[in-house]
Amino acid sequence: MKEKSNISYPLFDSFKDKLRPKHSQTQMALSQVNVFSRLSWQEIKIVESAVHIRTYTPNEPIFQQGDPGSGMYIIIEGRVGIYLDIPNHEPKLLSELGEGDFFGEIALLDASPRTAAATAMENCTIIGFYRPDLMDILKVKPIVGGKILLSLSEVLATRLRSTNSELVKVSRLLEETTETQTNE
Amino acid sequence: MSSQDPVQIAPQSLRFFHQGLLKTLIYFFLLILILAGAYKALPLVMDAVFLLVIATILTAVLNPFVDRMESSGIRRIYGALIVFGGIFSVVGTGIVKGIPTLLSEIGRIKNMIQQQSSADSLDTMISDINTKIAQYIPNFEINTDTISNLTSQFFGQLGSILASALDTLATIVFILIITMFFLVDGSRMMKSLIGMVPNRYFEMSLNISYKTKKQLTNFLKGQLLAALGVAIQSIIGLTLLNVVFDANISGVFLIGSIAGMANMIPFVGPFMGMAPAIVVSLFNNLGDPVAAASYYYIGHIILMFLVVQMIDNNVISPIVVSGSMEMHPLTVILLILIGSQMGILGMFLAVPAWGISKVIVQEVYHGLKGHHLI
Repeated sequence: MKEKSNISYPLFDSFKDKLRPKHSQTQMALSQVNVFSRLSWQEIKIVESAVHIRTYTPNEPIFQQGDPGSGMYIIIEGRVGIYLDIPNHEPKLLSELGEGDFFGEIALLDASPRTAAATAMENCTIIGFYRPDLMDILKVKPIVGGKILLSLSEVLATRLRSTNSELVKVSRLLEETTETQTNE
Repeated sequence: MSSQDPVQIAPQSLRFFHQGLLKTLIYFFLLILILAGAYKALPLVMDAVFLLVIATILTAVLNPFVDRMESSGIRRIYGALIVFGGIFSVVGTGIVKGIPTLLSEIGRIKNMIQQQSSADSLDTMISDINTKIAQYIPNFEINTDTISNLTSQFFGQLGSILASALDTLATIVFILIITMFFLVDGSRMMKSLIGMVPNRYFEMSLNISYKTKKQLTNFLKGQLLAALGVAIQSIIGLTLLNVVFDANISGVFLIGSIAGMANMIPFVGPFMGMAPAIVVSLFNNLGDPVAAASYYYIGHIILMFLVVQMIDNNVISPIVVSGSMEMHPLTVILLILIGSQMGILGMFLAVPAWGISKVIVQEVYHGLKGHHLI
C-alpha cells in the first residue's frame, strides 16, 4: 500500500490558506442563529454590515420588562440573565444565557412589550439586530430579507406547534381531572 | 446600628438630596454653557449646516432610486453615479437649451421697454388697466414711472445676479459632493453616529432615526410628485390658453416648471407660479387691442391656475402626499412667515422642518415613556 507522503509545500500552503474563507467573530455568531440559518456567507456579510455591536457592564439592563420590543440580541461574549419581574418580589431568574445564545427575535416582527427583562451578568459583547435594520435589508437586499423572514416564520411556526401540543396536554389533563372528580 | 435606624436615614437622604442638587446644578450650568456656545458658534457653522441640510434633503430624494438599483444588484456607488449622471444630463440639457432662450427673452423684453413705441404701448396698457380697475376700486392707480424704475432696477442687478451665480455654482458643487458621500456611505455614517448613543437610549434613538428618515422621504416624495402634477397641468393649461384664446404666452414649459416648484411652498406658492405667466402675457401682448379687450388674459390665467390648484388640492395631493404632516392652516401660515426671514428656501423648508421636529418630539416622548424613562 502506498503511504501518503508528508512533504509540505510552503508556497502552496500559504496560497491555500489565503483561499480558505475567513469569517469574523460576528459572522460566526450570526451563522449559528436559526434566523440566519438560510443565509450564505456572502449574505451573512450583508447582515453583519447592518447589525450593531454593543457592550454592557455587569448588572446593566439590556432591556426592561414592558419596554417596547424592537429587535433581537445575540451574545458574542459574556452571560445574560433573563428575569421576570414579579410585583412586591425580587425578580425571578428564568434563564441564564451564554455565548452564541440569542433572545428577543419575535420583537423583529412587532413592537409589543417585552415579556421579561434581560440584564448583563458580567461584561458582555452583544450583537443587536433591530427592526429598522431588517427593514433596510428588505429594501436594498429583498432576497436576504425574505430568507430572514422565512426563518422567522419557521421559528414562530415551531413555537405555535409546541404551544398547541402543550395546550392539548393541559386540556387532556383538565378533562381527566374533571372525570375523576365526577366519578368520585 | 441597623440600616433601618431613623437616625441613619435622615443624614443619608440629606446627602442624596445634596448630591442630586449638585448634579442638577452642574447639568444646568453645562446646558447654559452649551447654549451660549451654540449661540456664539451658530453664525460660524451656519454655512456648513446649510450645506448639510440641503445635501440631506437631496439624499432623501435620491436615496430611493439608489436603493432600487442596489436591490437589483447594482453596487451602491455605481447606482449613485448613474443617478448623478441622469441628473446632470437633464439639468445640462435644460441649461444648454433653456438659458439662451431665457436670455433672448429677457433681451427682447428689455428692448421692447426701451423703444418709444413700446413705451407708448406700455402707457396705453397701464392706462387701460387703470381705467378697468377704477371701475371696481376707486382711487387705485398703477404708475408708469414705478414700473419703469422697478424694471430698470431688475435689469441693473442682472449683472450682479450673474456674478453671484458663480458663488452659487461652487456651493452647488459642494452640496453635490456631500450628497454623493451621503448616498454611498450614509447608512454607515448614521450607524457610527447612533453607535455613540448610550445603551439605555440606543433602541429609542434607532427608532427615531428610522422613522424620521421615513417621514422626510415620504414628505419629499409626495411634494415632488405633487409639484410634477402641477407643472404638467400648468403646461397643458397654458398651451390650451394659447391654442383656444391665442393668448401668446411664450416659455410655457419654463413657466409650468416654475409653477410646479413654487407649489411646494404652501399658500404663497400658487401665486408665485401664477406671476410669471401674467408678466409674460402682459409683455407679449403689448399694443394688441384684442388682448387689451380680454384684460391681457389675466383673468384666464388666474382661472386656469385656480382650476389647477383645485385639481391638486382635491385629487393629486390627497393621493400622493399621504402620510404628510397634518397641520392647522394657521400653523402653516405662521411657519411660512417665520421661514420667510430666511428667504424662499426658508419658506420651503419651514413646513417639513416643523413636521420632522414634531415627529422627533413625539418619538422621543413615546420612546422615553415606553422605556419607563419618564
